[in-house]
Amino acid sequence: MVPQLSWYLALSAVLFTIGVVGVMLKRNVISMFMCIELMLNAVNLTFVAFSSFFRDLSGQLFVFIVMTVAAAEAAVGLGIIITVFRNRESLDVDDASSLRL
Amino acid sequence: MAVLFILFAGLAIGCAISMVVQRNPLYSAISLIGVFISLACLYVTLAAPFIAAVQVIVYAGAIMVLVVFVIMLLNVEEEERGPLRLRSLIPIAVMLAAVLFAEAVFIIFFVQANPRTPALTVSDIGMTSSIGGGLFTTYLLPFEITSILLLMAIVGAITLARTGGLLSPRAAVVPGAQVFSKEMLDREKYIDDLTPVTTQSTREAEHLLGIENKDQSSKT
Repeated sequence: MVPQLSWYLALSAVLFTIGVVGVMLKRNVISMFMCIELMLNAVNLTFVAFSSFFRDLSGQLFVFIVMTVAAAEAAVGLGIIITVFRNRESLDVDDASSLRL
Repeated sequence: MAVLFILFAGLAIGCAISMVVQRNPLYSAISLIGVFISLACLYVTLAAPFIAAVQVIVYAGAIMVLVVFVIMLLNVEEEERGPLRLRSLIPIAVMLAAVLFAEAVFIIFFVQANPRTPALTVSDIGMTSSIGGGLFTTYLLPFEITSILLLMAIVGAITLARTGGLLSPRAAVVPGAQVFSKEMLDREKYIDDLTPVTTQSTREAEHLLGIENKDQSSKT
């Protein structure tokens, strides 16, 4: 039995939903950050599955660009996390409810 | 093929659930690495070896090393088991989940499956050369914009991580650790008081050393 396109889409949807649940439930900034990475990866899986099943290169190039955005997001996001921690001595998102540092 | 899919999909979902359930951020980071690696294996079964390699190198390598580094740098402790946020929204969540489940059941039982088969035959779609060709011809503009994005990320990260301007220039401070003023570190100039001061927060340290930052207090 050969895997169908819908299997990959279902897996991607499940992973994305787990990521959303994590962002809603977690309080730690770093854990929320990792859940966002999980959501990005779920979308990447959709792109690669479509690219492979429709034999079109574009999907994999989008994945490439999404990965670049994720790397940039990791660098800047972790910089923001360190700055917030330095000022507030806490990683709880509820302690950082106002935007100023 | 189906066996591989089920194996790696199960691994990915299990690691993802473990990531959300774990309370220690380091354990959830390691679970997330498991998700990334099983997704890379799925990319290989989808005939995309280049994306699989980049997934392992960039995600499981670079990004997760950065995350683990920050977790260890900030010395994160486990989350305490507090009261659940958003408790008032639970009935709405249950209702929405029921709607979603009904939609999924409808699609599984009443919509015809797509008979399209995956690209199992020999094709150069996922190969490195075709991806490079696509990046440098059709998608040249997004590729260049990506480089500008990376430059902005570098500048932003350096600006954020810079220490200057937040404390008084006379203080050398490690949060939660020992705090010295420059007078104490510079032993040749100032020889009177050499005892280090231990404090719990930078604010307390500023107060103890009498170097409350005028710039910061006027800004905030």
